[in-house]
Amino acid sequence: MKPALASLYQAIELRQPIPPLLIGERMNANGSKRFRDRLLADDWAGCVEIGVEQEKRGAHVLDVCVAYAGRDEKHDMLELVRRLAGTVKLPLMIDSTTPEVIEAALQIYPGRCIVNSINLEDGGAYLRRVCALLKKYGAAAVALTIHKGGMAMQAPEKIATARQILDIACGEFGMRPQDLLFDALTFTIGAGDETLRDSALQTLEGIRGIKAALPGVGCVLGLSNISFGLAPASRKILNSVFLHEAVLAGLDAAIVDAGSILPLAKIDVADRETCHNLLFDKHTDADKKPLTLFIEHFQAKAGTTPEKANADAEAKKPAEIALTDRIIEGSKEGLEDLLEILMRRMPPVEIINRILIPAMREVGELFGRGELLLPFVLQSAEAMKRAVTLLEPHMPAVQEGHATKILLATVQGDVHDIGKNLVDIILTNNGYKVFNLGIKVPAEVIIEKARELKPDLIGLSGLLVKSALVMKESMRQYREAALGAPILLGGAALTRKFVALDCAPDYDHPVVYCADAFAGLQAVRDFEAGKLRSTTFDTAGAAPLKPGLKNLEIDRNQPVPAPPFLGFRHVRDIPLAEVFPYVNTEALFRGRWGYRRAKLTAEDYEKILAEKVRPLYARLQHDSVSEGLLQPQAAYGYFRCFARDDEVVVRDGQNEYVFGFPRQGAPPHLCIADFFKTEAEGGDIAGFFVVTIGAQLGERTQKLFESNQYHDYLMLHGFGTEVTDALAEYWHAVMRHELGIAGSEPATKAGFVTQDYQGSRYGFGYPACPDLGAQLPVFALLKPDALGITLTENMQMVPEFTTSAIVAHHPQAKYFAV
Amino acid sequence: MTEQKLQKFICTNCGYVYDPANGDVMSHVPPGTAFEHLPEGWVCPVCYVTTDQFDPVD
Repeated sequence: MKPALASLYQAIELRQPIPPLLIGERMNANGSKRFRDRLLADDWAGCVEIGVEQEKRGAHVLDVCVAYAGRDEKHDMLELVRRLAGTVKLPLMIDSTTPEVIEAALQIYPGRCIVNSINLEDGGAYLRRVCALLKKYGAAAVALTIHKGGMAMQAPEKIATARQILDIACGEFGMRPQDLLFDALTFTIGAGDETLRDSALQTLEGIRGIKAALPGVGCVLGLSNISFGLAPASRKILNSVFLHEAVLAGLDAAIVDAGSILPLAKIDVADRETCHNLLFDKHTDADKKPLTLFIEHFQAKAGTTPEKANADAEAKKPAEIALTDRIIEGSKEGLEDLLEILMRRMPPVEIINRILIPAMREVGELFGRGELLLPFVLQSAEAMKRAVTLLEPHMPAVQEGHATKILLATVQGDVHDIGKNLVDIILTNNGYKVFNLGIKVPAEVIIEKARELKPDLIGLSGLLVKSALVMKESMRQYREAALGAPILLGGAALTRKFVALDCAPDYDHPVVYCADAFAGLQAVRDFEAGKLRSTTFDTAGAAPLKPGLKNLEIDRNQPVPAPPFLGFRHVRDIPLAEVFPYVNTEALFRGRWGYRRAKLTAEDYEKILAEKVRPLYARLQHDSVSEGLLQPQAAYGYFRCFARDDEVVVRDGQNEYVFGFPRQGAPPHLCIADFFKTEAEGGDIAGFFVVTIGAQLGERTQKLFESNQYHDYLMLHGFGTEVTDALAEYWHAVMRHELGIAGSEPATKAGFVTQDYQGSRYGFGYPACPDLGAQLPVFALLKPDALGITLTENMQMVPEFTTSAIVAHHPQAKYFAV
Repeated sequence: MTEQKLQKFICTNCGYVYDPANGDVMSHVPPGTAFEHLPEGWVCPVCYVTTDQFDPVD
C-alpha cells in the first residue's frame, strides 16, 4: 500500500508522482510574524486563513507550529487543529516537540497526520515516547538526523543516525519505513562560515546515502535554511536551485513557502551556475570565494534589471530606509538580511550610528509629539536591541568606551523597578551604556559603584513617598563623596518643585527632575551638549494650592459597625471572576500601558482600543488564568482600637499595637487617626488587609525583561499591578459588606476612583501614611506569612504584587495627602 | 449664543475624571473652568499626579 496522509476530505500520497511533496511552512509562530501576530491576538480565523492561502499556492500538506513562549501550546494546537480539520482540505503536519501536545492533536484529528519531528538528541527516550504515539494513532513522522552529540554535519554521520532511528522506530515499535521522512538537515551557506562551506554537499550526499542504505524510507528538508543571511531576492533563486538538486538526489518532500519556489526553467543560466558554484563549493576564481561571487552577481543583477527588482518591492527599497522603517515600525522581520546587506557597505558601528540611532531618535520625537504610544516605542526598542545583538559579533570589542555612561538604581527601601527599567530600555537602545544596579540600592553602594564605574550621569528612581525623602536625604552624602556627576531623579512621588527646592540645593552638580523615560533621554542629550542644568521652580508664580481651606469637622457621633469576627482570617482561592470586574481599565490602558489618547480623535482612539488594547487585555486575562499566573489570596481582620492624638492603638487579645500617622501641615489638617473614636468616646473598630496575586506573575515579568521582550514585559507588569489593585478594591468591598456599611456602593467604575462608598482604605507607603514601618504590626496582626507573604528588612512585601491597607469605616474618611 | 462644551480629562494614573462642568470644589476650582485654565500647581485630587498625566476623554 502506498504511504499516504489524509484529511477529512482527501488522501495525499507521501511520494508524489512528481516530487517533491510541498509542506507549507507559514503557520509557524516562530518563523512567520504574520501568523504569530494572529495567534497572539487569538485570531483563529486569521490563522486558518494563512492555511487556506498556502493551499491556494500549491502546498500539499500544512505544517502547524504554535509553540511560543508564554502561550499554552496544547490549547493553541487543539484550537487550531480543530478549526483547520473542518476548513482546509489538506492534511496536517503536527509540528511540536512536546509529546502531550502531539498526542492531544493526534487524538482529535479526523485523518492521518504526520508529526514533525522525532530525533535521537537525548539518546532515545523522547524518540521512544513519540514512536509509541505514532504507532498508537497510526501517524507518519519527520525524523531529524540529530544524535546525542548534536546535529549530524557530515554525510556518513547523517546516514548512521538515520539508521539508528529506523532500528528503533521500525524494530521496536513496528512502524513502516515508508512512513518515515528523514531530514538530513540543512545549514546556511550564506553566512560565510568556513565550517559550513560544503554543508549543501553533505546534505545532498546524506539524502543519497539514506535512500540507498535504508530501503523504503523517504527524505524531507527544511529548505530555506540553506540561504539564511542572503538578500531576499537571491534567496528565492538559491532555494529553488537547491530544491532541484535535492530532488535529483532523492528528496521526496520539502518544507517550504510553497509560492516562493521557482521552476528551474524560469531561472536563467548564469543565475543557476552561480548557485551551483555556491552549493557545490566550486572555486572558479582565484581570488574570490563562491559566496562573494554569488553576492556580487545578484547585487549587480538587482541594479541592472529593474523588472526583477520590481517583483519584490521590499528588496528594491534601499536597505538604509528599510532598516529605519523596521525600527520605527518596531518590526524584527528580515532584520538579519538587511543588516547582512548593509554590512557589506559599512562597518557595524556606522550602521548603529548612522541608521539605528537616528531611527530611535525619530521614535523618541514621535513619542514626544504624541504620535507614537509607549507600547509601540517598546517594540521599536526591541527591534533596535535585536539589530544591535546581530551586529555585536561583527564589532571589535574596543569600540565601547566613548558612549556616555549612566548608572541607574531604585533607591534604598524601594522594590519598584518598572520605571527604572523603562529608562534603561530607552537609554540602552539609544546607544548609551547603562549600569543597572537594580532595586533597594543604599546610597553607600551607589557611591561605591559610581567610583568604580565612573558614570557620566546617575539616575535614581523610586515610587514611594519614602523614596522621595531618601533621595533628598542622600544628596548631601553624594556631595561629600564628590561624585562629580549630575543626578537625574524620577518616580511617582516626585514633583518638579520637590526636586528643585528639596534636592538640588544639597548637591554640587545638576539635579534634574525627569517626568518619564524620555525626559531622562533628553537630560542625557542636554548633558552631552553641555547644557544640562538643575531643575528650577518659581515659587513666586505658584499660588498656594488650596487657599482658605478650613479644618474639617469630623462627626464624632458616627456609629461603630459590628464586625463579623474579631482577629484575623486567611482566604485562599479567591475567584478571579470576582476580581477582574474591579480592574481599573482606564488606569491600565492609559497609565500602566501608555495607550493614551493624547492627540488622537475619540474615534481613532476607540479604534486602537477595539483592535489592539481590549484584545490584549482579554488575552492576558485568559492566559494568566490558564497558566496559573494569578493566585489571589487575602489575609484580613477586624480589631478593637481607639484613637489617641495622632495614633491609633489597636488591641489584639493581650497585645497592643500603636500606629502613628502624620497630620497635614496645612488646612484641613487631616490625620488618619481623626476617623477613629477615642477611648473616652467608647473606642472603635479598625480593619486591615494584605492581598497578593502570588509570586508567579512577578517571576514571569522578570524573565521577559531579561530576555529583552520589552513590550510584553511592560504589558504583563502593568496588568499585574492593576489586578493587584483590583484585588484590594474587591477585598475592601467584601469588608464593607461584612461590616454592614455597603449601603451606597458606586454604580460605575469611576465611582470607585472617587470613593463613592462609605469609608476608605489607606495603603502604607502612600500619601496619607507614608511610614512603611507600620507593616510590622500589620504582619503581627494578620500573619500573612502563612500565605507566603514576607517582609524584607526595608519593610517591602514579597511577592512584588502584594498590597496592604488599614480600613476605616467613617463616612468622612477619604484619600488625602500629607 | 451657543455654549461650547468643554473637554473632559481623565487621570491616566488613577482614572479620576476632571469635568469642567463641575470644577474641583475641594481645590476651590469653580465650575466652568477649562482644563487648560486650572491653576498652576493643581494636581489630581485622588492620586496627586500633575496635569501632564491627564488625557482627553469623552
